[in-house]
Amino acid sequence: MQHTVSRLVAVFLALVLAGPAAAHVSQQGFVLLLPTNVYMTAGIWVVAVTALAIAFTPGDVGERLFSTLALPKIPAPHWETVTSLLAFLFLCWLVSMGLSGSRDPLANPLPLFIWTVFWIMLVIVQAVIGNLWHWINPWTGIARLLFANPRRRPILAWPAWLGSWPAIVGLLAFSSFVLADPAPDDPARLAMIVAGYWLFTMVAILVFGERQWLARGEFLTILMRHFASLAPLRLGRRASCLGAPAWQLLSAAPHSASAGIFVLILLGTGSFDGLNETFWWLSLIDVNPLEFPGRSAIITETVTGLLLTNTLLVLAFAILVWTGHRMATRRVLPAERTGYRDVFGKLCLSTLPIALAYHVAHYLTVVLVNGQYALAAASDPYAIGADYLGLGTFYVTTGFFNSRDTVQVIFLTQAGAVVLGHAIAILIAHAIALRIYGQNRLAVISQIPVAAFMIAYTFLGLWLLAAPKGA
Amino acid sequence: MPIIKKPSRLVTRRSALKGLAVGTGAVAAAGTLPGFVRYSQAQSSEPIRIGFQVHRTGIGAAYGRWYDRTTQAATKAINDAGGINGRPVEIIAEDDGTDPKRGAEVVEKFASQHNCDLAFGTLFSHVVFGSAPRAGELKIPYFVVSEGHHVASGKLNRYTLQPGITDVKSQVQAMAPFVSDNLGKKVTMIYPDFAFGHDHRDYFSAALEQQGGEVIAKIAIPPTESSFTKYFPKIPRDTEVIYHVMVGPAVLTFVKEMGEFYGPNKPEIFGFIDSLEAVDMASPGLEFLEGSYFWEGNPRYAQKDQSTYDKDYRAAVGVDDNGASVSDPKDVSTYSHMFGCWETLYTIKDGMEAAGYKGPEDRTKLIEAVESITDIPHSAEHPQGAKIFNGKTHQVFGHQYISKVKDGKLELAHTTSIEDTLYDDEVDYTTQPF
Repeated sequence: MQHTVSRLVAVFLALVLAGPAAAHVSQQGFVLLLPTNVYMTAGIWVVAVTALAIAFTPGDVGERLFSTLALPKIPAPHWETVTSLLAFLFLCWLVSMGLSGSRDPLANPLPLFIWTVFWIMLVIVQAVIGNLWHWINPWTGIARLLFANPRRRPILAWPAWLGSWPAIVGLLAFSSFVLADPAPDDPARLAMIVAGYWLFTMVAILVFGERQWLARGEFLTILMRHFASLAPLRLGRRASCLGAPAWQLLSAAPHSASAGIFVLILLGTGSFDGLNETFWWLSLIDVNPLEFPGRSAIITETVTGLLLTNTLLVLAFAILVWTGHRMATRRVLPAERTGYRDVFGKLCLSTLPIALAYHVAHYLTVVLVNGQYALAAASDPYAIGADYLGLGTFYVTTGFFNSRDTVQVIFLTQAGAVVLGHAIAILIAHAIALRIYGQNRLAVISQIPVAAFMIAYTFLGLWLLAAPKGA
Repeated sequence: MPIIKKPSRLVTRRSALKGLAVGTGAVAAAGTLPGFVRYSQAQSSEPIRIGFQVHRTGIGAAYGRWYDRTTQAATKAINDAGGINGRPVEIIAEDDGTDPKRGAEVVEKFASQHNCDLAFGTLFSHVVFGSAPRAGELKIPYFVVSEGHHVASGKLNRYTLQPGITDVKSQVQAMAPFVSDNLGKKVTMIYPDFAFGHDHRDYFSAALEQQGGEVIAKIAIPPTESSFTKYFPKIPRDTEVIYHVMVGPAVLTFVKEMGEFYGPNKPEIFGFIDSLEAVDMASPGLEFLEGSYFWEGNPRYAQKDQSTYDKDYRAAVGVDDNGASVSDPKDVSTYSHMFGCWETLYTIKDGMEAAGYKGPEDRTKLIEAVESITDIPHSAEHPQGAKIFNGKTHQVFGHQYISKVKDGKLELAHTTSIEDTLYDDEVDYTTQPF
């Protein structure tokens, strides 16, 4: 319905999405006063210079950037079953809290844990320390208990044509829920969805086997593994290695083009989840940003925008990679060329640092606010007036959005993450191309379109941070 | 009536709960025969369940945080003093996502799932509009804290009341006498070009004309505008007062650019604090506002003649003399609005006590009891000031405050009379059947 009068509509704009969400009008106000054009220019220059520098550097330098230091073998204990079972029990407790605890999404442990701790923080932790998810996913333990025989054959084999498409569908469904659902924070609603998804995955594991489903069908495990591959340190049973962030992408080999598309959708979704708050987007879908009508009024628009953004990104990236590939292999006999699909799949991985940067930049403010609520809920999970952590009188604050200095620090942190993510992406893309084409010249030629894309994407990322927002 | 549930699970904040524990403890201590005590305690300590429709997410979330904090503080105070009719108050908070459709669902949850006695606390007008019809259908009293003129306009229903905060129409019209008498007769209005701005334009123009003044220019700014320099030359040279009600993220830019346009020789400037609610007045860029005036619903800065009621209210909510959180001086509250939650809860208490409220079967008695309220004295329960409740229009009327920016703070310059805020009734809800 169209709503008249609201003097209050929109004094505070933005608190981003329902699920994970938080911006603040005074923060926005100060951002608009910051010299963001200068920051944007500087950021784009940094990425562009990185691209030029790597192009004019001898080939081995590009690869040496990502060389690794072998570390002594660190014996990783086989505790996955136990830790996964513990994680499962914790999840059961969370779901029960979602059903019976406080109805306030900022006091109930379930939405705070799922959105703030799991979805926002764990992704970042994965990228810093590695694949923690391997130990704490809530399925492995049960699966091993229930279907203990490791030689048990899955009921169904994984057809090759299926690729990673089930995971892509899962990721898009999840993203639609996060971005378009009217109440993804509602504790009971979220509890049903979490429990339902757990059960669905369990059944899928039964049908396709743990390895197949978690590697190709379950979007969270794939997503977590991808972000873990950005971590500098990799512990291994045979060898452990330390290198520059993202070095692990060099040796990764996506099993299909759809695996690459999955990675691009991570980026596309992260990008849309910034775009959809801007005045620009809201004007496009005919919504007055100062009188935002609520999520339920724009579900179709949001889902359409999400799908459209991802489609456009995948097409654009595919065309750019193809163009670069053609430019580099013009004089190579077709039989000697690396297949385009293989090139596409590998180069898609190079966008992971950008996806992580978007994640960090977009959710930094949410963590700053909802992290406090999560802390308060940890101290009093049952909302009975307990104070297990001894916080005393604890008031959540958003005071850091109210001064120019702190807003500037927040903005520069976000912008810094975006620039760093793009710079690393350009370097790792170059190193991947070196491996594919073998020669520096060919690698550089092949990367001209992709590097241009990444520079343009830097602009988009920084613009999204600086643009006025209203949803 | 529901059987007693473990209240702990259903209350949202420890502060409210501590109060609850005190309330039930007092009842338990009053008995003597163990078996009987348990029974009577079960009857009398059955909590009053108030569904709190709160903007936890969405564009209202920054307001929602302070509405929640004030609501928890008021609940604690009420429970510490023995609750309502000897029963503790329990707040069941549901997030409406600042979304009208979701708002209606939340009201339905209060009525059907949570067995709430009533719903309370909505701020954003479009959520009120979306929720009120459902409250009427479900016959659950719906106490809003929204400031919209929607209640008094007659567009809602008998179950919707606004007894704790004044409406925008009365606020705006009450500014006209002060502006006309003290600042100037020739006013240029600058407002965002949508319903919110249009209300200001219409209410103020009419009220100013009655005072013998004139709005000589009406400058509507498109909502997506983020730079304003091209609009300032449209301000007529003979403007004596600029009345601005810009909202949104570009407010600071608006002020900065207006400052650059005028330099030191500016006309008088009058605005609504909505533009800068929860923004630190000492923020860089706001220096230009020094000497200008703002409407405030409740003075953010503790004034020299601060009442003990205001002092105690600040302490209960955890707000310092600058209107910021006691835990973070940069965390400025929504002081002009959130008192409405405190006062509404006390009005609910008065209404329930007058009606001898026992449970949902007495909901209509509660509404009739609130409708019969007239004078509301300035008190600890109503720290913003005295009020008059109009039972026919379900809308409360009260003093409005006009403050001047002085040394980066807001200093009270004028308090309007309640009479300045009154207008003719547009509805009589008491004639509508329940």
